[in-house]
Amino acid sequence: MSNDTGKSVRQRPALHPGRSSDLLVRWSFMFPAILLLVTMLAYPIFYTIDISFSRFDIASFGAGEWVGWENYIEVIDDYRFWESLKVTMIYLVIALPLQVVLGFGIAYLINAEWSGRGVIRALFIIPMVVAPVVAGGMWRMILDPLWGIMNYWLGFLGIGPLDWFGDPNLAMAAIIIIDTWRWTPFIVLIATAALLALPKDVFEAAKIDGANWWSTLWSVAVPLLVPVIAATFVIRWLGAVKMFDIVLAATYGGPGKATNVINLFIYEEAFRSLRFAESAAMAVIVLVLTMVLTGIFLRASRKLEELF
Amino acid sequence: MSSAATSMPRRSANTLGHKLRVAGGVAISLVFLFPIYWMILTSFKDQVDIFTTPPKFFFTPTLAAYVEYMQRADIVNRLINTIIVATGAGLLSIVVGTMAGYALARIRLRGAATFGLLILLSRGVPPIALAVPMFLVARKFGLIDKHITLILAYSTFLIPYVMWLMRSFFMGLPRELEESAMIDGCSRYGAFFKIILPISLPGVLSTLIFSMILAWEELLFALVLTNRHASTIPVAIAGIAGDTVNGANWAALTAVGTITVIPVVIFALMVQKWLIKGLAEGATKG
Repeated sequence: MSNDTGKSVRQRPALHPGRSSDLLVRWSFMFPAILLLVTMLAYPIFYTIDISFSRFDIASFGAGEWVGWENYIEVIDDYRFWESLKVTMIYLVIALPLQVVLGFGIAYLINAEWSGRGVIRALFIIPMVVAPVVAGGMWRMILDPLWGIMNYWLGFLGIGPLDWFGDPNLAMAAIIIIDTWRWTPFIVLIATAALLALPKDVFEAAKIDGANWWSTLWSVAVPLLVPVIAATFVIRWLGAVKMFDIVLAATYGGPGKATNVINLFIYEEAFRSLRFAESAAMAVIVLVLTMVLTGIFLRASRKLEELF
Repeated sequence: MSSAATSMPRRSANTLGHKLRVAGGVAISLVFLFPIYWMILTSFKDQVDIFTTPPKFFFTPTLAAYVEYMQRADIVNRLINTIIVATGAGLLSIVVGTMAGYALARIRLRGAATFGLLILLSRGVPPIALAVPMFLVARKFGLIDKHITLILAYSTFLIPYVMWLMRSFFMGLPRELEESAMIDGCSRYGAFFKIILPISLPGVLSTLIFSMILAWEELLFALVLTNRHASTIPVAIAGIAGDTVNGANWAALTAVGTITVIPVVIFALMVQKWLIKGLAEGATKG
């Protein structure tokens, strides 16, 4: 190893003074992070995998004898697991595109040049830092079928009263509304910066060439924005698969299991039913699914970048 | 052509479309702020003003909900716990993550790129996959309900976050900074701590604040790894919101919610310029 450093030292004299102890110094910047992440991140993941292949031993409160795929088979046979995955998928498929489109749309609106622009943009930080569990609780109050202000207002439009938390579809809608309220501002802030970074002269040129607003949007703005839109989608996806707090506070998975997203389901199975081995198997399945889908999204976003 | 276009005077300021855009932007930001306004308003209401139709915008404000809840020992304790854990996790992660981010950006290390990629991937790990084993291990070693356990658990998502942000921040600094310092006889540590850190202070501080906000809001690990002594405010809110036995205690929910949200909003607005910049860079360079 130290020989190796010697070689690279000759190539880059300034940043690599030729002492073999420098290797230690250099790694020392990285070492605390590696130590913490190995013990707190890598080790727990391997422990989860270990438990998922074992019978859970209540006496030692840890992994017992090896049972192979038994827990996995049990989980795959469990219709509640599939239901929960389906609920999670419905939420993701509706919420993610909605939030990205809304986020960029709102960013376009609030980027209009006027004296209050900076203030408006700063205000969009506020929903973004409201704790998700608070967001869930406060919307539960707003959407309350009896006393909530939402149903009161919808009444003026002749709608309702809607039983937001009693009807399965409305409960899912409520979850998506809350999540969209909490996360769209995050996309708005990314999008405003992206819109400001767009080259102005291209738009002026399009205007002079007589392109209308719609074709300017589709043939000039969107292609330029594709890399940011794709990156935003991936970031939001990584957050959305962790959906837990809002559901826990707003519906607790109900009514029935209509909003029982996978993280809440695993949480309940592990910490209420104490089925740790099965929960571990589910967690591993979800982990693999997430990783595969993240890989696909990353690759797709790179492809999109090349295309445009 | 484009130079002719850019030299043209801006006309957009007076068109109807522009006015509509401004009005739309203002209206939407009000829509997004309303729920928070409504929560804060409700927290100052008396029970009879909360459960009434039509909803009341004007009423005699009362501090009853705050007085009642701030006197309850568990809420005060939870507030203190949340402050301890958020500060501890924030400080630990900023120190460890900033150094690692610097290493990834500037120091050539064998295998560091792989490690960086693994860390990026770790953002996809569902927290529930960590919560189960953490609970089991913590229980075995008697670490349940301790601040340090939560602090370490939070570092699993904060360190990658800090590393990622600080890496792109350091890559934006000119290389000559440390090169000249090290030629002048500074050690690597000297160059980092005396030259790089001081000029990066605004970025480091805003990252620290945002990390503390993330820790402040966290629910899952707090639910799993604490029960009484080290439990945090989000757990209390989840409890109040999910209390189906006593029904919706909206006064409590909104008062505790307001207490949770206000400090965070103030901090976030303090660093808003850096926050927006960090977000934008995270999305475009990440």
